[in-house]
Amino acid sequence: MATRTDILGAPLAHPGWLERARSRPGVLVAGSVVALLVVLVLAVGLGTVAVAPGDTVAILAHRLLGLDIGGTWTPAAETIVVDLRLPRVLSAMIVGLGLAVAGTTFQGILRNPLADPYVLGTASGAALGAAIAVLIPVRTVFLEFGLVQVLAFIGALLAVAVVYRFSRTGTLAPLTSLLLTGYAVGSLLAAGLAMTMYLSGTNLRQIFFYLLGGFEGSSWLQLALTTPIILAATVAILLRARSLNGFLLGEEAAAHLGVDVRRERVILLGLASLITAAAVSIAGLIGFVGLVVPHVVRLVVGPNARRVLPLSALIGASLLAGADLVARLVGGIPVGIVTAVIGAPFFLVLLRRARSGYEL
Amino acid sequence: MDPYSTPRPTTGGGSPVPATGRLAAAHAGRLAAAHAGRLAAALVGLALVLGACSGAGTATPVSIPPDATASTVPAESSGPEESQTPEPAATFPLTLLDDEGTEVDIPVAPQKIVSLTPATTEILFALGAGDRTIAKVEDITPYPPAADWLPVVAKFGSVDVEKIVALGADLVIAGGNDFNPPAAIAQLRRANIPVLVTYAGNVEGVLADIELVGDAVGEGPAARDLTASMRAGFDQVAAAVQGLPAPRTFYELDATKDIFGPADDSFIAQMIEQAGGTPITTGNPAVFSIPLEKLVAADPEVIVLGDAAYGTTPEIVAKRPGWSTMTAVKTGAIRPADDVVVSRPGPRLVEGLVSLAIAIHPDLASAFPSPVPAETPGESPAPSSY
Repeated sequence: MATRTDILGAPLAHPGWLERARSRPGVLVAGSVVALLVVLVLAVGLGTVAVAPGDTVAILAHRLLGLDIGGTWTPAAETIVVDLRLPRVLSAMIVGLGLAVAGTTFQGILRNPLADPYVLGTASGAALGAAIAVLIPVRTVFLEFGLVQVLAFIGALLAVAVVYRFSRTGTLAPLTSLLLTGYAVGSLLAAGLAMTMYLSGTNLRQIFFYLLGGFEGSSWLQLALTTPIILAATVAILLRARSLNGFLLGEEAAAHLGVDVRRERVILLGLASLITAAAVSIAGLIGFVGLVVPHVVRLVVGPNARRVLPLSALIGASLLAGADLVARLVGGIPVGIVTAVIGAPFFLVLLRRARSGYEL
Repeated sequence: MDPYSTPRPTTGGGSPVPATGRLAAAHAGRLAAAHAGRLAAALVGLALVLGACSGAGTATPVSIPPDATASTVPAESSGPEESQTPEPAATFPLTLLDDEGTEVDIPVAPQKIVSLTPATTEILFALGAGDRTIAKVEDITPYPPAADWLPVVAKFGSVDVEKIVALGADLVIAGGNDFNPPAAIAQLRRANIPVLVTYAGNVEGVLADIELVGDAVGEGPAARDLTASMRAGFDQVAAAVQGLPAPRTFYELDATKDIFGPADDSFIAQMIEQAGGTPITTGNPAVFSIPLEKLVAADPEVIVLGDAAYGTTPEIVAKRPGWSTMTAVKTGAIRPADDVVVSRPGPRLVEGLVSLAIAIHPDLASAFPSPVPAETPGESPAPSSY
């Protein structure tokens, strides 16, 4: 028979590590930053070609900070570390950060634990855009962005815009309407994608690899163009954490708290969609990170968006960069598989360990 | 089709199947996450189906003029006429125009060559540049044996750029039409490694590519000798099939589930024509599957089993429901072919054409007494090791 203690857990008598962690958010943030740095060093240091850790650090110091801390390395090692690995690792981090923040935002606004960055048709829109780009026989490359990236970005934003526009005309509650419209438009776009793939013939392969997602082609220029978008939108969302907390209580309660519900909803959805679009344009479609990282963080620190957002950002960055490292080391398998394989069991353990109630 | 470049759609036992399946599984997972779960299964099916046919080797030609593919910027070689005459070895540095129209600067005679397509590996070894080849793409039907020891730096759809950089490669020869990921090619070029992209949409394109690769590695004369002898081989086949009736020929790529055959104007369709057959194609340059109804209506007089290596036999074909009305089944004109040799755009193409011609016109077997040189007795149409 369940007693009151069973239901509440026993945080006071035997606090679990989750509860202890929850009471010290500063430690959590510091720990996440350390984890991120560890992943950064590991991911830059490891790969199919062995570069000694000392050399890796020396190369980075030399190229990034202009310091000469000794050590000798070949030009090949320098190219590998600086031009191949570093942009790739940083791309994975910025995309992981963006997807986690966007996921947190969508889950908060829609009050739906299954919401992820792609919930409003972003993924289908981006995929269709990329597929169409593949079929257009023009191979223009502007600032290392091919048509694929550009149309994926535009497709993602267009899809969300259409979903939002259609969701406002119905008589349904706004949230239900958004979710259902997102599903409908997403399905329609997916059908368009299937049709495009069917007609693509020999170009199918390129579409397919875009859909799988990954960071094989990362370059400094792509990184430099997407990072400002993702970081700026992330900061803007962080500044609206209060509104997001209001949404968690329900839109009516949020309105009573003085949140301009309609306005904040549009702004937050727009920012999260912008992040998602920028992420999919350079990384393709990578699932799981945006869905699960926010839940993991909430399990540990509770639902307060002021804590969830920055921690999600840090952990999303670490997770995706770590997953990409594993994907590289196991021979270039798609990173989405690794995020799921690493993340899902971890998430299950957390779900079982969570003694106190979990709410979105 | 070259089994490397064309992952088979169904579990026929070929090695590319797991790769495609794996990719498809990931695809499914991600699309489900992407809020399109219901369509994921359908898309995976599509991906499997079309993935079968998206290889570079047998892809639909994208109208590359053969002359353009072979044009070298140094004035020494220009025009197909000169290809017969021996020329002095190319002088480096030189600039070549590759099949994607990129000007590729090669500063010195390459000493560390990386081959990113199975056909290129064959070409390099045939031209005597094998000893300067330091790494290759994975090849599930490896050839020649001399290339076996080479480290593998690329697989289906992925290229280990780091490793190529670390090996100090001074020339990379890649496959166009997305055989190798364009992003990887861009990364290699950013790392100041010259990358020559080859893509042959037809037989002339293969010859042009052999000469292009020859020029790039400083073996231009050897390349022209090779293409001249290949042209002679093609001419021999053309002469042998001259005047013979051209039977309606269906080249089966796979029929485990849906039926796959050559698309219109595809590489294999052209090969069938050159081998003295009338190719039955899918009716669309971008589609490689053909409905059974359409195949029955087309009534093939000869069925060539490009999937013989995966266990398809004439007996299996004859037992398929609905196939018994076809002339080829009634007359027993169902014959196996070594798909790799038929479709790989490399030096063994003449061999492939001869075997195709014999499959279509069995009487020609006496005209080509030893089509497959006895040097590789172990190489049956069924590659044994996967």
